[in-house]
Amino acid sequence: MTKLNRRDILAGAGALGLAGLLPGAARASGSVTAAIYPGTWEEAYRAVVAPALKKAANVDIAFDSLFAVDQVAKVRAARGVPPFDCFVLDPGPAAAAQAAGLFEPIDASKLTNAAKVPAGLIKSHGVTCNAQVVGIAYNPKKFPTPPKAWTDLFTAPYVERLGLTGFQTTFGTVSLIEMCKAFGGSETNMEPIFAELKKAVSKAAAVAAPAAMPGLFQQGQIDVMYTNTNTVAILKGRGVDIAFATPASGAITFQTTLHIVKGAENVANAYKYIDTAISAEVQNQLQRSPYNMIPINKDVTFVDTLDVKSIDDLSKMVTHDWTKINPQRAAWIERFNKEITK
Amino acid sequence: MSAAAAAPGASPLRDTVEWRLAAPLGLTYAVFFAAPFLILLGISFYADAEQTRLGLDSWVKFYTDAFYLKVIFDTLKLGVLAVVATTILAYPLALVFRAASPRMQRVLIFIILMPLLTSVVIRTFAWIVILAREGVVNQTLMALGLTATPLNLLQTELGLVIALTQIEMPLMLLPLLTIMNQMDQNLVDASRALGASKWRTFFRVILPLTLPGWIAGATLVFASATTAFISQSVIGGARLVYLPSLIWQQSMVVYNWPFAAVASLTLLFTVLSGIMALSWLGRFAKTS
Repeated sequence: MTKLNRRDILAGAGALGLAGLLPGAARASGSVTAAIYPGTWEEAYRAVVAPALKKAANVDIAFDSLFAVDQVAKVRAARGVPPFDCFVLDPGPAAAAQAAGLFEPIDASKLTNAAKVPAGLIKSHGVTCNAQVVGIAYNPKKFPTPPKAWTDLFTAPYVERLGLTGFQTTFGTVSLIEMCKAFGGSETNMEPIFAELKKAVSKAAAVAAPAAMPGLFQQGQIDVMYTNTNTVAILKGRGVDIAFATPASGAITFQTTLHIVKGAENVANAYKYIDTAISAEVQNQLQRSPYNMIPINKDVTFVDTLDVKSIDDLSKMVTHDWTKINPQRAAWIERFNKEITK
Repeated sequence: MSAAAAAPGASPLRDTVEWRLAAPLGLTYAVFFAAPFLILLGISFYADAEQTRLGLDSWVKFYTDAFYLKVIFDTLKLGVLAVVATTILAYPLALVFRAASPRMQRVLIFIILMPLLTSVVIRTFAWIVILAREGVVNQTLMALGLTATPLNLLQTELGLVIALTQIEMPLMLLPLLTIMNQMDQNLVDASRALGASKWRTFFRVILPLTLPGWIAGATLVFASATTAFISQSVIGGARLVYLPSLIWQQSMVVYNWPFAAVASLTLLFTVLSGIMALSWLGRFAKTS
């Protein structure tokens, strides 16, 4: 039997401690670390993408569960020693991260599924892995007649049952911009929506954090909200009375993108991960319940449970330029804080 | 402590050992508290979100804007309300505990500790189920005919204080129970025997004797309630802005770290000022 003295044990413990302080140094080859949104995204990617990546490329993946803003903050704070290899981001945080130089450029030739993705979805520094569609969610039992336009949300009977959320999220920001347009404003003139919000805040059923909205809808605290089809499908799957309504001006779409972090340790495996995520097989599984993610691979036939019928539908939807939105967003958030509080 | 300055009878060897024993904790504090605190302080003196130039802009903006001053006041007020509510409910429960049989005390301790064994996230979401329009409270009130329409309990300061009272209650109860169990029953009996009413006995005997326990509990509740980011965000909603949610928003959404640093330091000093006030109260109670 090997005898261990105190010095050996301390040396071993010290080595382990040092290994823990050096992320990546102790990682096995054939691995990649990717940030992923908590909740449905994490469940979906653990259940579908991780096994597919292991099977296709023999690469182990470790997920770091973080919201988009937290991912960007974490990488910025790491200052050149990234805690993970891949981001998953919405347009707002992606534009901020791109401006901060946090992405490696994307070489599309390293993606075997690149040709299966519509033109424009593989960009210089990111690859679209999923489309999100935003519109109005309502309780069909409470409202046999659904709201038809963004302006309807600010009139009775909808406003009294409305759940308001601010500019902290992508879906919240783009919804409020579209509401503003419906009241005669624009991305550069948000006065009309702030005027409407001021009037509506005393009547609205809730003004809540974005993450709290599905729970409030489930509990009957609110019966109308603006959200994405993914949330609607998940709640519907849990037996909640909820339906999606496309506003008269059109539903909003934005893309969720995968990016390789600047200075990533496992760049080759990051490409394999992205390639697997956009493959037809994986995209086909991710669109099904309980994940309900809108696919972006041309070989995938959309299932009936999605509120979108084909990739072509996405091109008819409303999109936004986040390079224009981001510089103004901080001021909008501050104004929302000041004007839409008690 | 140097050997030269050692107390009479203390050996230099013992002093060295004591210093070594304290070193790991001291080093941990230096690395994981003092250093980040100094970095935070440094960041707060950048004038812009991009951290390109130094200046007092973030401090000036925070302390000259009525909205942010109100956020500080609301955060302090929330802490005070949580302390008041937990105090009102904890004292009767502590008195019941004191009077209970050992078996009943074990049951009560289990009930008191149970919330601590549950995640604060779960407890917070449970309060959504209880306080929502179609929640337990509203359904009960409507079934009893006490209200025709559901009351708006969520997204209000009242709802948040109710939830925080339950969430923070163990922090008030545990120190109070400890000090109450150490209280000499003869003092209470003497007060009653000399003709003092139950209320007079409580205010003149029990309350002063249990004040150290209450101060410990109040300190924990105040610090915990003012920094309860999850409960404030989920139950309070966006209508109620407190320092923790403001810090998160400025650091994680707006990426204005200098401003977030100012808000963070303000929260730290707000909590510390509350703790110092309670500590002063404790010293005052001892001297009087």
